Amino acid sequence: MTTTTTRLITACAAAALAFGLVACSGAATPSATTPAPSAAAAPTGSEDDSATADEVDETAAAGAKVSANTASEDEIAAALESAGVSNPERWAEEVVEYRPYPADDPNLTTLRENLAKYNPGQETTDLIVSALAP
Amino acid sequence: MSDPSRLRRTDAATLVRHGLVALTAIGILAAAFELASERHWNGVEQLIPWIALAALAAAVGLLVVPGGRGVPAARVLAVLVLGASVYGVLDHVLVNFESGALDQRYAESWDTLPALQQWWLAVTKTVGPAPTLAPGVLGQSALLLLLASVGRTRRRVEVQPTSH
Repeated sequence: MTTTTTRLITACAAAALAFGLVACSGAATPSATTPAPSAAAAPTGSEDDSATADEVDETAAAGAKVSANTASEDEIAAALESAGVSNPERWAEEVVEYRPYPADDPNLTTLRENLAKYNPGQETTDLIVSALAP
Repeated sequence: MSDPSRLRRTDAATLVRHGLVALTAIGILAAAFELASERHWNGVEQLIPWIALAALAAAVGLLVVPGGRGVPAARVLAVLVLGASVYGVLDHVLVNFESGALDQRYAESWDTLPALQQWWLAVTKTVGPAPTLAPGVLGQSALLLLLASVGRTRRRVEVQPTSH
């Protein structure tokens, strides 16, 4: 009986360890895909050659950034559309879902980490963030 | 006079039952840790697995009520959690499916892909952020609890006196 109980406890401990390892690997995934700081956080006064960058600059220069924390989903979708983001309504849903965002993080790092789960690519992520402010 | 072989069988059954309950408890804790790690609380829908875990924990408590009085309620809760688990798997697949057009690899071609291929990409989490089978751990724990409850109510029937 004692031996059997010991074996059972050992089996349970192994199962708990396995669950823990799986959980840890799942939790580690998002941080592994954390994007590097991007051009969207750079000053908007610089001139770029590409049309995309021009659109981003125009959006920022026009003061069209909307708050990722307080703007409505429709307002965010409109801002994303103005910035040239495809599927703006779908992305607006995601922006709203992962609220709130820290006010002291103009680069919206938390949002970038969450968007990375969808594999949108760096350019799309930059476009999205360029239209938003915390 | 008690039959030694029957006593051994009873001991083994009790041990297995306790083991199943322990595995259920481990499953609850592991799932809670995983959900917390993923910050799975954005919106009402993401709270469903937390509610299911609470129900499963309550079911474990009901299962160990002396005399087996809590077993029927525990089974009902376990079946509900099983349903929530199936819903979770389907919902994760749907979330991945709806995310296909957001993936830079399929942004241009998603709408032109055959439906079967779209669903396959979603089920295998090639597109989308949701782990397809992760909610299944809830169902597995619920099934363990249901197994642990087998035979828990039979004892009451056996001790009922036969009247003629």
